Amino acid sequence: MLVRILVLLYLAGAPALAQTLCQPNASNGCRVRISIKTALGNQAYEWNENEMFLFRATMAFAMRRYYKTETYNVDNIIMCNQTLRVSFWFVVTSPENSTMLIPKADVEKAVRMSRHRINNAFLLTDRTLEFLGIHPTLAAPVNPDTPPWLIVFGVVIGAVFAGIIALLVSSLLQKRRKEKGMMEDGQDEEDRQMKGVENDNVLDGIYNRGFTDDDRFTKL
Amino acid sequence: MGKDAARAEWDNPMQFVLACVSYAVGLGNVWRFPYLCQMHGGGGFLIPYMLMLVLLGVPLFYMELAIGQKMRLGSIGAWRAISPYLGGVGLASVVTSMYLCLYYNVINAWSFWYLFHSFQSVLPWAECPVNSNLTGHVEECERATPTQYFFYRETLDISGSIEENGGIHMGQALCLLLAWIIVYLFIVKGVKSTGKVVYFTATFPYLVLIIYLIRGVTLHGAINGVKYMFTPKMEQLANPTTWINAATQVFFSLGLGFGSLIAFASYNQYNNNFEKQAIVVSMVNSSTSIFASIVTFSIYGFKATFNYESCLERVRLLLLNTFDLAEDTISLENVNHWIAELNRTQPEQFASLGGRLETCDLEAELDTAVEGTGLAFIVYSEAIKNMPVSQLWSVLYFIMLLLLGMGSMLGNVIAVITPLSDLKFISHYMSTKTLNGLVCLFCLLLGLGFTTRSGNYWFTMFNDYGATFSLLFIVLIEVITVCYIYGIKRFEKDVKDMLGHRLNWYWKIMLAGVSPILLIALFIFYIVNYIQGGTPTYQAWNKELGKSVVTEYPPYAQAFIGLLLASSVCCIPLTALYTYCKKRNLASGKRERTVSTVSA
Repeated sequence: MLVRILVLLYLAGAPALAQTLCQPNASNGCRVRISIKTALGNQAYEWNENEMFLFRATMAFAMRRYYKTETYNVDNIIMCNQTLRVSFWFVVTSPENSTMLIPKADVEKAVRMSRHRINNAFLLTDRTLEFLGIHPTLAAPVNPDTPPWLIVFGVVIGAVFAGIIALLVSSLLQKRRKEKGMMEDGQDEEDRQMKGVENDNVLDGIYNRGFTDDDRFTKL
Repeated sequence: MGKDAARAEWDNPMQFVLACVSYAVGLGNVWRFPYLCQMHGGGGFLIPYMLMLVLLGVPLFYMELAIGQKMRLGSIGAWRAISPYLGGVGLASVVTSMYLCLYYNVINAWSFWYLFHSFQSVLPWAECPVNSNLTGHVEECERATPTQYFFYRETLDISGSIEENGGIHMGQALCLLLAWIIVYLFIVKGVKSTGKVVYFTATFPYLVLIIYLIRGVTLHGAINGVKYMFTPKMEQLANPTTWINAATQVFFSLGLGFGSLIAFASYNQYNNNFEKQAIVVSMVNSSTSIFASIVTFSIYGFKATFNYESCLERVRLLLLNTFDLAEDTISLENVNHWIAELNRTQPEQFASLGGRLETCDLEAELDTAVEGTGLAFIVYSEAIKNMPVSQLWSVLYFIMLLLLGMGSMLGNVIAVITPLSDLKFISHYMSTKTLNGLVCLFCLLLGLGFTTRSGNYWFTMFNDYGATFSLLFIVLIEVITVCYIYGIKRFEKDVKDMLGHRLNWYWKIMLAGVSPILLIALFIFYIVNYIQGGTPTYQAWNKELGKSVVTEYPPYAQAFIGLLLASSVCCIPLTALYTYCKKRNLASGKRERTVSTVSA
């Protein structure tokens, strides 16, 4: 009889005990804020008891993973003070002693370790599933061996140098062609000059602009 | 006559027009005109601008083209031919152009840097880099914005003040080297190569501007910016600064006084119809300014709307989190309604928000007017990073900046090279290719000083003082020389000789009367402004605060400013004195010789 009364008391008192353990702003409590509509828009799901159960299960999983034991269970995660925003507080009790709370630092480390899995369970991200006080670790920057801009620079300056070399080569070729042409022309020049001298005509005169056929005013 | 036959010429008049357009349409059209429009009353600014263009810009442009085409020499030779005592005007132009060459190509180096950095999956100025222990972002970046951090820290690695020098930024130096090699490539064969390049540098920016216009006006919120720009505020017309800024903008946008126009025109055929070309180039330049303003303001509008909506989103989240309301109770539209509501119903909790509640104001966002490198490299890149497919838009934008800058650089370098290659003793010793190479190398080596850690402060000094005041003085002397010392009658005769018809009354009145008066007024205003302004100051980047702080120039920097101004202006009186002394020596020498022969 006494045992039954004690059992009844225990069953009645346990949730109340659990409620006293979980208080907003408790030293070992953690606040969670969830923004489902921001993350998923039209495909947002309803936050109800089932989701709460999933959360407790995921947290138990995280604690198991961190401590590498299999003693944590859904009952060890106690939640309270849920608001319309969808934010709530939770505390983690030790599996051996249900009145003893796991210190916040350890809970934080456990969450950090399994953050990715927790996010994925709810289809959320670090920004939309916030554990207030636990900052997400930022992705390490990817440092390539050669900075990409140097590659593009190399391509452009290579093209420019190729252009310069092409220009120099073409001007060299032109000069050689002109020299060859001049050698042939030179004989003609001599003939003409001789002709000029013979006929007593001066063949190279001053270019007189007044007698050109071009338009006097160059059009735009 | 022999010189006539040997002088290079444009292949056709279109090349000359495109060269002038490419030179005049530069970065100032994109980053200074929209700023002035915004500061001085939107659409209303067009009135003083057009008036100044007609009274000041076009006549002076016409005059420079006429001089170049008639004398067929660069600025030194041309002015010496007009009046031997005032050959110093040409020399002053060359000195000013040299200063411009030194610092202008640094802007092209920055454009190259940004262009090369656009080929990444995430634009580097879109996010702050993480700090060394991966807990958060770099502090300087948190206090400023990612775009500012990228410009001041990663591009410039700027020091705290002009006194703190540092090493050369290797990336910048490489980009500057590339810029100068490309400039050399464009001018290596003189006008033959330049003439072909300008087909591209003059037309391609318009293609990019049109693409950007279409992209810009289809952006969300662009209409706010365009409406803001075009709403005229007529009361600004009563402000004299509006008129002064309109005159200065017309003046500098057309590139008068640098000697580039004289150099370009000197390669023209003698009978080229430069009158029509002068009007066409001025009109094209102005319409490009207006066109670029529409593009700039649509992007401003997009950026302002984006920032405004981000601000609203932050306030919404703050309210939701503080008052623990369900997510869909507050939307972006009724944020302000809810603020009033919550203040009324729960005042104590509302008061606990304290300073965290920001006021979001679209007008304030649009009011942030920026000009110059701040607009091009900070504001624009911030807008671009928020566009979809931002890498493509970034590449296009910086290619456009590069083409505009390169086109203007061509004019600057030709303004220096043409007079030098006309000088007998230089053309005797080296070919044009070697001269071009030497000038480019010299400018590159000196320009490396602008790539040091305090280089941006020296750049700003050159930008503000190197060419502004001296140009006004140069052009004033030019106009007075042509109209009163050379004589408007002789000028008229020369023009009739070239064009075949007499000078119109419009040109005569403007050149002889209105333009000199306006120039004198501008000149006096600049002097008064400079004296009243007190010690010259500059914006130094403070890395602790994450913003620019107004700092005074140290004494040696102020002395350098004085040197910059004096070095180009002094050329005019010094050359006049030198010519006077030489003539006197020559005259007295001749007299002695004549006396000796007679006596002998």
